Amino acid sequence: MSATDDQAAVEKVLAGDISAFEGIVRRWQGPLINLAYRFCHDRGRAEEMAQEAFLRAYRALGQWRKDAAFSTWLFALATNLYRSELRRIPPRTVPLDDVAEPADARASDGGLEDHDRDLAVRRAVGALPARYREALTLFYFHEMDVTAAARSLGLPEGTVKARLSRGREILRSKLPQRLAVPRLEEA
Amino acid sequence: MKRPTGQFMGNDEDEMNRILSQADEILPSSGFAASVMDAVRREAAAPPPIPFPWKRALPGLAVGGLMLVLVLRALLVAMAHAVKVTAPQSMSLPSGMPPLFHGGIESAAIWAALALLTALVSVKLTMRLAFSRI
Repeated sequence: MSATDDQAAVEKVLAGDISAFEGIVRRWQGPLINLAYRFCHDRGRAEEMAQEAFLRAYRALGQWRKDAAFSTWLFALATNLYRSELRRIPPRTVPLDDVAEPADARASDGGLEDHDRDLAVRRAVGALPARYREALTLFYFHEMDVTAAARSLGLPEGTVKARLSRGREILRSKLPQRLAVPRLEEA
Repeated sequence: MKRPTGQFMGNDEDEMNRILSQADEILPSSGFAASVMDAVRREAAAPPPIPFPWKRALPGLAVGGLMLVLVLRALLVAMAHAVKVTAPQSMSLPSGMPPLFHGGIESAAIWAALALLTALVSVKLTMRLAFSRI
């Protein structure tokens, strides 16, 4: 299914053929569920939020102006919904200051496992203030495309760039040892 | 050279990008699309939302508007009266004002309270009428 297929499906739905919406659901269910999952880290809740996003998309289908791609409109709608849902019932996160930081990650032989470090960084992102967490989440969801992230968030690109930069700064300050460039040792 | 495991090498931003780009992907459960389509069909089958009962609300709104105009007029008169009391006897109330408006600021306050009460009653009544039809 391509962008033109999306448009054709939307036109069919608007003409009264509800079953044409199934094509849209099947095409976009993966991305919408995964976007929700990145926000809440809970599979069940991610599916519930994605279902609500599809329902809202169905209700608002006539409001899609074809000057933007259908996917852009759909992601913006879903992002808006996910953000308000998570403001209503926030996901469980570990406070940023409690994200495990080793006493001295470089001291032990071999240091921490990469897996633990990656997990700590992801947890730290989850514990960031919403504005930075959302910018980072959307940026990486859209494969580091600032323009797409900005469209989904409904914010100017400059604002998103500033939030990404500030979010990374906070991560560096909260995880100084995990995010530090280590001294290299001679073999 | 030895790379200590668990530590970032080189540009930490590249490492951050690498870590955060590797998010866990989940697959939709098998019945997800069917469940969404059920919800969509229920939504399509549901009756359209009841429109706001303008016909019933209009008299209340008209009365409310009229009361608001009267209260504003009374307030203006009261203010003019207050100015008249403090200033030399050069101003007088408009000749068309009913006698009730000649009572000064207390009378205006009573009128304002009455108007607010009327507005509250009309809003409550309108909402009751609207919700009783759902």
